[in-house]
Amino acid sequence: MSLIKVENLTKVYGKGATAVTALDHVNLSVAAGEFVAIMGPSGCGKSTLLHLLGGLDHATEGHVVINDASLDGLDDQKLTELRRRKIGFVFQFFNLIPVLTAAENVALPITLDGKGAKEARAKAEEWLKKVGLGDRMNARPDQLSGGQQQRVAVARALVAEPALILADEPTGNLDTRSSDDIAGLLRQVANEWGRSVVMVTHDPRIAAYADRIIFLKDGLVVDETRLSGSGDESTRAVKEKMETL
Amino acid sequence: MLWNMAFRYLTGRKLRSVLTTLAVIFGVMVIFGMNILIPSMMQGFQANIMAASGLVDVNITHKTGGSFDPGIADQVKSVSGVSAVTVSLNRTVNLPADFYDHDPAKVDKITTLGLIGVDVNTAQSVRAYMLQSGRFLQADDRDAAIISQSLADNLGLKLGNTLPMPSTSGVVNLKIVGILPPHIQTSNEEVQVTLAQAQGMMDQAGKINAMDVNFNTSDVAQRDQIKQNIETMLGADYQIGSLPSGSEAFASIKAGQAVFNIFGFLALFMGGFIIFNTFRTIVAERRHDIGLLRAIGASRRTVVSVILIEGLLQGIIGTAIGMLLGYLIGAGALSGLSQMMSSFIHIQISGVIVSPGLVVLCIVAGVGVTVLAGLIPALQASRVTPMEALRPSAAEVENRRWLTPGFVIGAICLGGAFIMLFSKDLGIVLLGSLLFLTGLVLVSPALVRPIAILFGALFNVIFARQGIGQLAEGNLTRQPSRVAITASTTLIAMAIVVAAGTMTTSISGSITDLMHKTLGSDYLFVPPSIAIWSSDMGASQNFTTQLQGVDGVGDISAMRYASSKYQQVAVSVLGIDPVNYPKVSGFLFSEGGDSAYPQLTQGRTMIANDIFLASAGVKVGDTIHLSTMQGEKPYKIIASAADLLNMKVNTAYISQENLKTDFGVTEDIFIQLNLKPGADKNAADTKVRAVAANYPQFNLISGKAYYESLSGTIDAVFMGMYVLLAMLALPSLIAILNTLAIGVIERTREIGMLRAVGATRSQIYRLIVMEALLLASLGTAFGILGGLYLGYVTVRGLTMMMPVAYSFPLPGVIAAIVIGLLFGFIAAIIPARQAARLGIVQALRYE
Repeated sequence: MSLIKVENLTKVYGKGATAVTALDHVNLSVAAGEFVAIMGPSGCGKSTLLHLLGGLDHATEGHVVINDASLDGLDDQKLTELRRRKIGFVFQFFNLIPVLTAAENVALPITLDGKGAKEARAKAEEWLKKVGLGDRMNARPDQLSGGQQQRVAVARALVAEPALILADEPTGNLDTRSSDDIAGLLRQVANEWGRSVVMVTHDPRIAAYADRIIFLKDGLVVDETRLSGSGDESTRAVKEKMETL
Repeated sequence: MLWNMAFRYLTGRKLRSVLTTLAVIFGVMVIFGMNILIPSMMQGFQANIMAASGLVDVNITHKTGGSFDPGIADQVKSVSGVSAVTVSLNRTVNLPADFYDHDPAKVDKITTLGLIGVDVNTAQSVRAYMLQSGRFLQADDRDAAIISQSLADNLGLKLGNTLPMPSTSGVVNLKIVGILPPHIQTSNEEVQVTLAQAQGMMDQAGKINAMDVNFNTSDVAQRDQIKQNIETMLGADYQIGSLPSGSEAFASIKAGQAVFNIFGFLALFMGGFIIFNTFRTIVAERRHDIGLLRAIGASRRTVVSVILIEGLLQGIIGTAIGMLLGYLIGAGALSGLSQMMSSFIHIQISGVIVSPGLVVLCIVAGVGVTVLAGLIPALQASRVTPMEALRPSAAEVENRRWLTPGFVIGAICLGGAFIMLFSKDLGIVLLGSLLFLTGLVLVSPALVRPIAILFGALFNVIFARQGIGQLAEGNLTRQPSRVAITASTTLIAMAIVVAAGTMTTSISGSITDLMHKTLGSDYLFVPPSIAIWSSDMGASQNFTTQLQGVDGVGDISAMRYASSKYQQVAVSVLGIDPVNYPKVSGFLFSEGGDSAYPQLTQGRTMIANDIFLASAGVKVGDTIHLSTMQGEKPYKIIASAADLLNMKVNTAYISQENLKTDFGVTEDIFIQLNLKPGADKNAADTKVRAVAANYPQFNLISGKAYYESLSGTIDAVFMGMYVLLAMLALPSLIAILNTLAIGVIERTREIGMLRAVGATRSQIYRLIVMEALLLASLGTAFGILGGLYLGYVTVRGLTMMMPVAYSFPLPGVIAAIVIGLLFGFIAAIIPARQAARLGIVQALRYE
């Protein structure tokens, strides 16, 4: 069953002669518990697609349906609620609040949703343990490594128990080892915890952790690959695909 | 290249540059505007104080008393240090018998009048004409005059009536166009007309016989020098009468000048704070870019230069605009104030005064502080390694120990200020107040966190749930020193509000009370000279008996006078009627209370005023021997108290019985009278005036009307003060706005992330409002502390001029809390809206 259905999704920035089409009638679907990577050269519309899926931006044309609910015509309040309860975000630059501890950062989405402090804290601690940071609950972002900060961000994305995790270049700012850790964690999110993950990346090695890769070029879906081999094989296959784009 | 880069930085981040420049503009504007206002206000204040005492700095007349050419005034005006000159033609006009009452049977109340021709264009720059009603003379007035309320009462005239005056060309009927307050101290009534009118009436075309001159300084040495320069210029034919430097009016002027100077200093302090704070933030924010510059090969010196050039550009632009706006605001406020003041408190304000020193000060403060404020963080930034600065930037979090050198110095300042509070020397206490404010500013960074937690918990309960309160509190405490500097601006503003509140509460609690008690009776029968009672001729008891016989007259109380000595100290002994005196008048007790009145009838007892106690070295409870007509007699001091008329003269109050027995005096020299409740006021007024007509030595004044006009004047003076203080409170609004707006820019990506993870627009809005309220609470909490100290010092200063008792300024404290929180909320509106409206995608991409 599809968690995400995208039909004819189009996004045009600007008007008239200066108009730029970032996405051009894109159609795709993502199943529940599936880990999908989106790849493509710079400016192909990867991040735009992610923003539209997350209701952060409005499409010029087309539809996005998440969990049988269309995003069409939802006002700001409804979109905010959707993000808060159904979608988790992981960003390239972690975007943690520097004045809050790891546990407080993780608890933030459910606290904003009105959960009591105790309940929110317990939930945050549970997820921090799951992502392997049980011993760094009270550390502030500046006391954590990049990889650890991104783990906190993943825990924050999961704390509201959303069905969908959207990750925008989650390893773009990490070293190789940390990148592998985070990609493995996202794999775990899909496999063990049954969430759908849509990840934008330009790194074939990281994309190889996904179940499926969708290739974008100039705003169009140009190819799609389902991965089944070992990590190294998949990476090689993805690299070859990228070279042809 | 460096200039180009600095310019690009400025134009590249427009909002940020505008906010920084705005801080420079505002700082300079406050300094420039305030300092334009202050000298002009000062001049008005000086003229007003002097006019109230009937004095000017110097008065120039010809040695022969004759008239001379007005051209001399221009020469006097050219003397350095002379701020204003006005010319007049005066003479005393002896009136023919029965000139006004046309009734030979009645004693003439007015036998002479001073006719004064004033130059309407310049008169008000030297003296203030505190008109009660009507208007001042105008250049094109023909046969118009202004007179005092007491002259109008004596002659039964009102505004718009005509006053006949003899002149060299026959009787001239002058239309009364303005009424001045009653002449309470002298019997020499004056009629003011235009100079041309007086010249016509005296047949002295084109002549004057007096010049009034004011100086622009209260420095004694400078004043003597100016006076000497005028003397040298005019030669031996003219005589110069000057205001003695030790006079009371002069002391009031000096006190006023000190107050205005403190205002100017505080404005400079606040302006500097805003500029420094903004610049520090901007440079801290740009660590990323600085790191990049360093990474690509820029030297530390280049980094510092770029920032300094930027500061210089902003400083120059900001200072120029600030001075222009300051001038416009100063001139605008001056014209507004002068209208308000001339209509409410009759202070006349001359034109805009801009001294070259002020221009230099503003350039130094504006450009200098901006560059200097940039220099310190620029030097810090230049020490940052390229790699450190190139890390993905999150908004800076300060990890400060609370025990910093600043905190230690601040704590020492506070301790010193506390000790100084007990000093008897007002100068030291005043220094203590500055030390106290400085101490508060220095310790505040360490106190930001605990106070933010305290208020955060409070606001959390009230309106900011769902973690917003915690987040706001965290955002605020991440930069304690920036917050402390912003809060310092609020601190100073609120300290001023609380100090002003202390002054108002204390003054209205004592002076108004005293005025009301002493002058609050329906009628006052005032002798020509108050307090120097020996020169007054009184009335026998027949007068009060006749008054008592008038229908509608209620309680009457008279004062009688004898002079005495205790050891070598001269003392006025005033006999009062212990039963009736408290009914129509009263004392302000500093020791003892109303029970002292009946005690005056029990043997030889007295109530003494504080001045007498101090100069005689005695205290309440002592028995002292006063010299009387019957030799020395023992009087026990049962209380200390003052009445308004005698508070500056050694005075002892005893019963009229004792005054009669020991001093043989039964003559009334000052009488107060109340009408019965429900009496026909008009009928009683006519009859009281008829009786009083036989006692022309007394000036009959309606006490309540006089008190009301005085307290109205005091209220209006306070209102003027509040306008000035409100202007000083405004910078705190701008400072909070500035800090919040920069905070929003700086945390754009964080705000985008909050929106992305599900924070609603209203939650973001509340977050920023809460931050503002916390910021305002911090400043207000510190401000109240500072204000209480400053208020106490102000009241102590006032006690040297008038009897004021310190009272806790509860209304001032409440006003500070309300104004502080209101300013916090108002300042948050724009940044909060800006934050709530941020596009999520753009915010996430923001660097």
